[in-house]
Amino acid sequence: MNCEEYWNNVGALPAERLAAHLAECRSCAARWAAEGSVVAGLRLLGADEKDVSAPPRLEARLLRAYREQYGRRVSRTAGAHRWWAAAAAVLLAAAGLWTGAWPSAAPARGVSGAAVLAGMEESQGAFIPLPNAAGVTDDDELDLVRVELPRSAMTALGLAAGDENLAGSVEAEVLVGPDGMARAVRFLN
Amino acid sequence: MKAPESDHQLFERLRAGQEEAFVALYRRRQPALYRFALQMGGSPAVAEDVTQEVFLALLRDSCGYEPERGTLVAYLFGIARKLLLRQFERRRLDVALDVDGDFGGIREPADLSDPLADLAERERIEALRRAVGSLPRRYREVVVLCDLEELDYAEAAAALGCPIGTVRSRLHRARLLLAEKLRDERRGGAPVTDWKAARCLA
Repeated sequence: MNCEEYWNNVGALPAERLAAHLAECRSCAARWAAEGSVVAGLRLLGADEKDVSAPPRLEARLLRAYREQYGRRVSRTAGAHRWWAAAAAVLLAAAGLWTGAWPSAAPARGVSGAAVLAGMEESQGAFIPLPNAAGVTDDDELDLVRVELPRSAMTALGLAAGDENLAGSVEAEVLVGPDGMARAVRFLN
Repeated sequence: MKAPESDHQLFERLRAGQEEAFVALYRRRQPALYRFALQMGGSPAVAEDVTQEVFLALLRDSCGYEPERGTLVAYLFGIARKLLLRQFERRRLDVALDVDGDFGGIREPADLSDPLADLAERERIEALRRAVGSLPRRYREVVVLCDLEELDYAEAAAALGCPIGTVRSRLHRARLLLAEKLRDERRGGAPVTDWKAARCLA
C-alpha cells in the first residue's frame, strides 16, 4: 500500500493493514500522530461545548406550534407530568408567601405581557402574580398549565377558600415561564 | 431496564399527536443541532432560527423524512444544513466557502510536529475553537458533525448528501488543515502555505 491508498482508505481498511503501512512509512506515521493529537483536542472541545443548547424560550415556542398543528391532542402522560411540575412550583411559591419569605405581591405588569393569554385574563379573572413574576417582561413567553391544587393553597395566597373542607382540591391555571418556574396562578373554582 | 425509545419511535408518536414524544425528541436532539448551527452560522440568533425551523419542518405533513433513506438525526442535520446554506446565500456570510483548497491528492505539511504540544488543556480548547471557526465550510461541517457531535460517517454522509468516502477524505483534510492552523498560530500568525508533495518510499 502506498501513502495515497493509505489516506484514501484510512478508516475503511482493516486496522492491521493500516498499521503495517505506518510501521513502514515514517512520514505517514508522523502525520497520523499529528492528526491524532487534533482529534483528541476536538474531543475536548466537543466535551467543553456539551452544555451549549438553545434558549428555553424556543421549546415553549415550538410547543405552541405543535399544539396548533396537532389541535392540543396532549396525552394524559404529558399533561400529568406538566401538572405535577406546575403544582410543585405553585405549592413552593404558596408556601413561601405563607411563611413570609417573599414579598406579598409582585408587580402584575410583567405577567400581563403574555399576549397570548391576555384575553383569557380579562374574561376569567385575574392571575395572582407569584414572586417569580417580578422579572417577567412583555417579551417573555409563558405557558399556561392547568393543575389541581390542595384547597389550602388558596388560603396560603390570602384567598378565601370557601366553606368546603380545606383538604379538598381546587382547579387552577398556572403561568409557567421558559425556565419552568411558575409566574402567576388563578383559581378556577 | 426499559430501553429508551428510538428517534423513529418518538417521531411516530409525535405525529400521532403525543406531545411528550415531541418534547422528548426535541430535548434529545436540539442541543447538537443548535451547536451545529452555531458553529456554522456564527451567531446565536441564526442558530436559534435554524433550530426552530428544523423542528417546524418536522411537524409539517409532508416533512420529507423517510426512514429507509437514513436516520432521523441525519435528516434533522440535513435540514439544518440546507437552512444554513440558504442563509449563506442570502447574506453572503460564508466568505470561507470559496477558499476550498482541494489539495489535489496526498500532500503533507512541512512541519509534522504535534500541533497542540506545550498547550494547557484550556489553551488547546480555545485554539481549536478558533481554528474550527476559520475552516472553510465544507471542512468545518464535517468536523463539527463527526468530531464534535460524534455522528458516525454514514449519518454524516446522509446529512451532507455525499458518499461516506467523501466524508472520510474531507475529515482527514480538515484535520490536517486544523493542525496547520494551530502550528501557524504557535509560530506567530504567518499563514502557512508550505505544503509539499508527499514522498513516501513505502
